[in-house]
Amino acid sequence: MAATGAPLLLFTDIDEPGLRTLEVYERRGGYESLRRALEMTPQEVLGQLEASGLRGRGGAGFAMGKKVSFLPRGSMDKYLVCNADESEPGTFKDRELMQKTPHTLIEGLVIASYAAGVNCSFIYIRGEYRLQADALDAALSEARAAGFLGENILGSGHSLSLLVHRGAGAYICGEETGLLDSLEGKRGNPRLKPPFPANQGLYQGPTLINNVETLSTVPSIIRMGGEEYAKLGVETSTGTKLVSVSGHVTRPGNYEIELGIPAREIIYGLAGGPPEGREVKCWFPGGSSSPVLTAADLDIPYDFDSLAKARTMLGSGAIIVVDDSTPILNVALKVARFYRHESCGKCTPCREGTNWTVKMLERIASGEATPMDLEIMASVQEHIMGNCLCVLGDAMAMPISSMIAKFRDELEAHIESARASRGLEGLAGSELVPVAQGAA
Amino acid sequence: MPRPQPRTITFTIDGRDVSAPENTMLIDAARQGDVEIPAFCYEPKLGQPVGACRMCLVEVEGIPKLQTGCSTPVKDGMVVYTQGERVKSAQQAVVEFLLLNHPLDCPVCDKGGECPLQDITFGWGGGISRFIEPKRHFVKPLELSPLIAIDRERCILCYRCVRFSQEISEDYQLVLLERGAHSYVATFDGHPYVAPFSGNIVELCPVGALTSRPYRFRARPWDIEGAGSVCTLCPAQCNVTVTVRDERALRVLARENGEVDDGWLCDKGRFAYQSFHVDERITEPLLRDGGRLRPVSWERALQQAAAGLARAGASTGAIAGDHSTNEEGLILARLMREALGSPHIDSRRASSLPLELHRALGAPGLQAKVSDLEFAHAVLILAADPVNDAPILDLRLRKGVRRHGLTLAVASPAPSSLDENAATTVRHAPGAGAIFAAALSAALTDDEDAARLARDAGAEPEAVRELAALLRGPVDDVPDTGETPPREVVILWGERLAAGPNGEAGIRALLKIAEALGMGGVEGAGLLEVPATSNGRGLREAGALPNAGPGLSEPASAGRDTRAIAEGLLDGELAALYLLHCDPLRDLPDSELWGRALASAGTVVAHAAFLTEGIREHATVVFPAEVYAEKEGTIVHPDGRIQRLRPAIAHPGSVRSEWQVLAELAGRVGFDLDLLSGAMASRQLFESVPFYAGLTLEEIGGRGVRWQEREAAASFPTPAGVTSAAGKLEITDTPADALELAGFRSVWDAPEVEFSPALGFLFPHRELA
Repeated sequence: MAATGAPLLLFTDIDEPGLRTLEVYERRGGYESLRRALEMTPQEVLGQLEASGLRGRGGAGFAMGKKVSFLPRGSMDKYLVCNADESEPGTFKDRELMQKTPHTLIEGLVIASYAAGVNCSFIYIRGEYRLQADALDAALSEARAAGFLGENILGSGHSLSLLVHRGAGAYICGEETGLLDSLEGKRGNPRLKPPFPANQGLYQGPTLINNVETLSTVPSIIRMGGEEYAKLGVETSTGTKLVSVSGHVTRPGNYEIELGIPAREIIYGLAGGPPEGREVKCWFPGGSSSPVLTAADLDIPYDFDSLAKARTMLGSGAIIVVDDSTPILNVALKVARFYRHESCGKCTPCREGTNWTVKMLERIASGEATPMDLEIMASVQEHIMGNCLCVLGDAMAMPISSMIAKFRDELEAHIESARASRGLEGLAGSELVPVAQGAA
Repeated sequence: MPRPQPRTITFTIDGRDVSAPENTMLIDAARQGDVEIPAFCYEPKLGQPVGACRMCLVEVEGIPKLQTGCSTPVKDGMVVYTQGERVKSAQQAVVEFLLLNHPLDCPVCDKGGECPLQDITFGWGGGISRFIEPKRHFVKPLELSPLIAIDRERCILCYRCVRFSQEISEDYQLVLLERGAHSYVATFDGHPYVAPFSGNIVELCPVGALTSRPYRFRARPWDIEGAGSVCTLCPAQCNVTVTVRDERALRVLARENGEVDDGWLCDKGRFAYQSFHVDERITEPLLRDGGRLRPVSWERALQQAAAGLARAGASTGAIAGDHSTNEEGLILARLMREALGSPHIDSRRASSLPLELHRALGAPGLQAKVSDLEFAHAVLILAADPVNDAPILDLRLRKGVRRHGLTLAVASPAPSSLDENAATTVRHAPGAGAIFAAALSAALTDDEDAARLARDAGAEPEAVRELAALLRGPVDDVPDTGETPPREVVILWGERLAAGPNGEAGIRALLKIAEALGMGGVEGAGLLEVPATSNGRGLREAGALPNAGPGLSEPASAGRDTRAIAEGLLDGELAALYLLHCDPLRDLPDSELWGRALASAGTVVAHAAFLTEGIREHATVVFPAEVYAEKEGTIVHPDGRIQRLRPAIAHPGSVRSEWQVLAELAGRVGFDLDLLSGAMASRQLFESVPFYAGLTLEEIGGRGVRWQEREAAASFPTPAGVTSAAGKLEITDTPADALELAGFRSVWDAPEVEFSPALGFLFPHRELA
């Protein structure tokens, strides 16, 4: 589905039957960008990518052209890995891309590999995406047969091997270094950085890792020209973006938007807003790991920097809307339990912090908590943030601490009512003594 | 390979300027300025840091996030804070997180009192507990192996043990299972963790999760003492600390010495201390009476032994074996040569080598150090199997290959544990090591005999040629301007190369190989011998050889070697045999010959700690022998490092020092050795061996000293041009005759392993049909 009036790049003809086949894709102008790119020098292609201002669509929002330029030049074994492990709750944009137009991704990959001087690439796709992996595999054989992949692509002298690797379903394998470990056949645990993958990644070789949407955007950039692409969106957030809207909206789904439009336009205009009679209570602007915003923030322009200014993030572009029928505690528990389940256990703050947070939230739900626990919970989130090996710990701590900060009254009321329903004495108004000091 | 020579930089930590080598990790650099950064997972011995525990977070100026001190290399001008509020709060938080699921059972935990988690909690923790939920539970403790217990509740998931198994010993058995807070350490297949170096994980564990089963509940840290010594249970001579309680050895820990053991121990070294205190140990003198050995008084035993030796006089033979110290070797040689007038003493197993070859092999310019195994361009293993001969060297070679790009070549008759790490492996026929060496030396000197010799050795001629090329290294396209550093090649060779009829030719070939590869005088290159006994090198240098006196000097008269002593006993030429830590039936080749020889010997005097077969059946007098933890004296590492043994525990029963017994016997046969203390024996040694001259026990200290690095080394009798004078190598036997099966004994096949209750399961039980 596409937003009416918005420019369509990724979702052009997305619902055209058979777009996943090479025949239809080529009929719609597919692989023209590849031909054009191969006529340029790799440096020129890189120049187009840099001019486009394209920022990574996976979550971190790092400038793609810059990332490519970090890769050392030379004849060593280098790798390009497409991160198709799309596992952030609320995110399902890559799924639609891979399922409906796998050739766009392949074309983008080949162009990017040409720019980066890479001859070996992988698509690491999450295990649950069977249909999408099958679609990719089918598209790969077509592309290979047509000479868009393999040795000496279209007579350009550039060669690329491309394999689809299916993961086994762990959130942490979407973290770039965890993904590399998993791809190497090891337990998917994040690695210490530095060294960064651009220097030492897959099999210790320089590695470029990009999201599906990022790579799928590359053909459009080559077709339009980097500068033309940069005219879309706003200054530091150029181009279009796929947003996955889910939760309490009447028309959930993927929408392609021009970056910088107000969030209200997406949530209400495109996705239809919450059901009749309910109001937006909070919304995650970029997947479950982004700090929540409230109804008061609906007019924030939806782009990287505006959201960062609002102390949250665009992340993977997954908007999850929560309406006023849901207690915030349930949202917090859902989020915290997810991250506890997915914590790899390698570093202490994430492993123990996610576990502890869930236990405290469960205590609130069962009426055994005191408002003191909110203090402890907030300080635990603070101790997790920025202190972990990778960002998984932060991914829980950021939304949870934002919920404690923005919905403190509701949580305190919840504690009181849950205590009352267990027949425990209310604590509001009484002087609170920290547990440890009280015990001393 | 050039070793890293980091430049020294200055950085600021907590307001103080500190100098440290560039790129050392902050945590180590901080120590130079007496600043301690706490950590659990960081252990430099394990290789690259993993940054898992997050305990070492510090603030680095210019970097917004806190950085892990274990993985941040120090740079010139860096400004670091470890005491600020941010750092303190983060460190407190990590301690709090770690304690969430850590049971507070310190009062019954073996680690209590010497536990990094306790210490760090005390030093950097918040002091209060805010966690009131139930902790994680596991069945505890489990038997990870017969040697190690695992308590997964106590585990803080620091990854040290797993990294050891995966990256150091490379046995790949330990893994982390499950995920997140449910993670736990286990073997990947659920079988016990049995591996030659498994015990190291107990020492690595920063909490009481991995404990030694033989040590569990035996002592608390406040009622034990640590006594530094050196393990003499194999030629690797790792440095150890013996944990002593009430004069008993309760535990052995590594005492890190980068030039010897790199801080690791094998399971034999770590657990065989149990054999010091078992009932099988001989603790009083025994005398054969009515066909059986019976306990007697020292007086009676000494008298009988002295009478037997005096009767035999010059027709006495003596063999010094495993864990005899240099001093014991020297005194035994004096007893033989000066008191009894007999030249028949040996400490080697193979037939005697000409003295000039001993001198050539021991020449200071041709000796490689243990650390050279790690940093050399290439290492060839010849007639040795590290894991069975000197286990700790196995880890060193793995490290060299993994971290320093060492090219490893293995030439052996059977698959070895290092095959997978080797760039090339060449198999030859059993017992044909000497012929193989000849083939390799021919290949290196482009001799036309190379192919024939290789075939005679049962090896592929092509493989031998490739090995030669590999050792020579890549041919540089650039003309040699003399500026390129010489290629460093080390040959780790076993004493058994010299065994068999071609032994001498094998040694000559070895010297030719060394010459062809230009090893002489090259720092970082050379030969490193693995002797057949733990102090083989020291005993030779002390003069326990039939054709050499102390310091490999020319003796007044040459005597019989080991095999000739057996033959002498058989044909009646020799009447008595003196066995210092040697059971010929167990330790020497051709036990059939020795069985007959011992049976026909008039008097057999033995120093032994255990009644092994040859001693039990054939000794006339048995003196109870000391174990290394009771000994005083010096030993010499295969690379020439003189190390000092210090008594850690008292003698059990009525055990006496060997030097004392030897001196007493000499006195009783009418010769005063002028020995009143162990230190006097050491002094006699340093005075007798010219290249030890001026050495003192203080100088040796706790780390040992390589005599090659001292001035006195100049007085080593280096022969001139042994190898070139040797001309063509003479291979006398056909390959079929040269086959010698089971020519050596693994260090794991030892009474110390057999009689240690917890370690006994590792004793190789052989079934011979």
